[in-house]
Amino acid sequence: MTALIRGELIKTVSTRTLLGYAATGAALAIANVVIVTQASGDLVTVSDKQEAIAGLPIIVLLFGLVGAAGEYRHRTAAPAALAAGQHRALLLLARAGAYALTGLAIGALMVAVALVLGLSLLPAHPGPGLGAHDVALVAAGSLLAAALSAIMGVAVGALVRNQVAGVVGALILAFVVSPLIAVIDETAVEFTPFGAAFALAGDPQAGTLSWGGDALLLLAWTLPLLLAAVVTERHRDLA
Amino acid sequence: MCAWRKAAAPASPLLATYLFAAGRRLAIVTIPPGSKAKFDLRADARENGRADPVPMRATQTFPAVAVEGLTKRYGDVTAVEDLSFTVRPGAVTAFLGPNGAGKTTALKAIVGLARPTAGRALINGAPIDSMAQDARVLGVYIESCGAHPGRSARDHLRSLAALAGLMPGRVDEVLTVVGLDEAASRRVGTYSTGMRQRLGLASALLGDPEILVLDEPLNGLDPQGIRWLRTLLRERAASGRTVLVSSHVLTEVAQTVDDVVVIHRGRLVRQGAIEDLERLGDGRVSVSTPMPERLATAVRRAGGRVAFQNGGGRLLLEGIAAARVGELAHSERILLHELVPRGGSLEEVFFSLTEQEAA
Repeated sequence: MTALIRGELIKTVSTRTLLGYAATGAALAIANVVIVTQASGDLVTVSDKQEAIAGLPIIVLLFGLVGAAGEYRHRTAAPAALAAGQHRALLLLARAGAYALTGLAIGALMVAVALVLGLSLLPAHPGPGLGAHDVALVAAGSLLAAALSAIMGVAVGALVRNQVAGVVGALILAFVVSPLIAVIDETAVEFTPFGAAFALAGDPQAGTLSWGGDALLLLAWTLPLLLAAVVTERHRDLA
Repeated sequence: MCAWRKAAAPASPLLATYLFAAGRRLAIVTIPPGSKAKFDLRADARENGRADPVPMRATQTFPAVAVEGLTKRYGDVTAVEDLSFTVRPGAVTAFLGPNGAGKTTALKAIVGLARPTAGRALINGAPIDSMAQDARVLGVYIESCGAHPGRSARDHLRSLAALAGLMPGRVDEVLTVVGLDEAASRRVGTYSTGMRQRLGLASALLGDPEILVLDEPLNGLDPQGIRWLRTLLRERAASGRTVLVSSHVLTEVAQTVDDVVVIHRGRLVRQGAIEDLERLGDGRVSVSTPMPERLATAVRRAGGRVAFQNGGGRLLLEGIAAARVGELAHSERILLHELVPRGGSLEEVFFSLTEQEAA
């Protein structure tokens, strides 16, 4: 399994895709901090301030999804499976592991950028400041959400096998379906995969579940999707 | 010095010296008294990430590849139907058929990339879907090079080597073999078609496999590349390894292969040695005579078939030897101007086989 993860890691870090997502993630983290701290009025409460440094796990989900679906677009899935042997399930799990690690790296970069910029801008706002515990919760949640979102992205990418369909579908779910659900029932959105991921990464709109509850919920969404992808991968033609 | 793997073997009370040839290498290993050591070069090679020095075919009695009743359907379309054939170890076997015959689909099922609707494929006697495949046993090149256009050839092969558990040094070896060592750091997206072909072949050769399965590998290669590949395939067969190579152009591979498997519309048309296929084209005789009708009658009586050419002055005879035609002409007192035995080209044989099947 270590060899498989190493092989998949070489693939994830040997194209410019990783750099592209890292740069995009850092840019969006900066934009989030600037918009929330400079264009959203006074951030009075702790949760308001946490929103300024909250993570954006959808970037990492898209990274995993595009990478996994790209295996079929670029026909790299077949040679990888042939090299790895007929253990397609293990190979997909290794791929998920490799993307979780690289997704964690992207998440860490985004957290670092958000903290450096956010913690320098937030003291200008009134109300109680962020304590170390508040910052740690957001940072740890963002990292965990990044790792699980990357795995979820790999699972969805392996199931869909089409990059465009996968990305468009994910964006529609995140930015159309989730807000519609929130209109119907504000608390329900936290129970969706995107809601759980954003909540874990510090979204102050959520509040129904605890930090641990959000983590377990995101895990509960990720594992069945990964299992479905593994089962499907074993039975479908690779080429 | 070679290592050895301990295995159950009768204990020897004496100091034994084993002299053996491993490929072109010669090694002397001294086994201590009482040792239960036994050589397993294949296992050693796997542990060390080296190419297997002793091809399995030297002792194996089963086919390197066996296809049994293979059927593959995509919805209502049957791409391969009840296909059965074998590939003997240590030979280059051509897998032939016109475009759309089902070659690529069959190869995908044989190597485990596609799930057969029915039937099965066996590699070295083991069903492909039940075995833990190994890049040292089976090397495959099917369609495109299978590399991300934004990745360098070296990184592509590094990832495959890691997935296969091979030593990283093997990457530079195969890059040199396929002539991509100088372009290895370039992104694959900048490669020409021929270079991508070579990269795909490098992937297949990475584990220096016992069995090489190549789908239309000559497409896109320049004449120099074609000659290089032909030499490579012959060298592999000479070293005891097995090659199954598909093509839709018989003449491309005729001078390289030992055996042929011809399929058409997903079904087997013929399997045998290339010489057998060449013999199928023999037995035709071209005759020029001023008495064509009399000769035609005599030939038909003798069991031959006759076709008139050039307005009737020339006959093309089938199913009868040239010597027999001469004897008939002599006994019937028929004047002959020309008597030429003709072998049909392999291409004609190929066309006749696939056309017969189509009819």
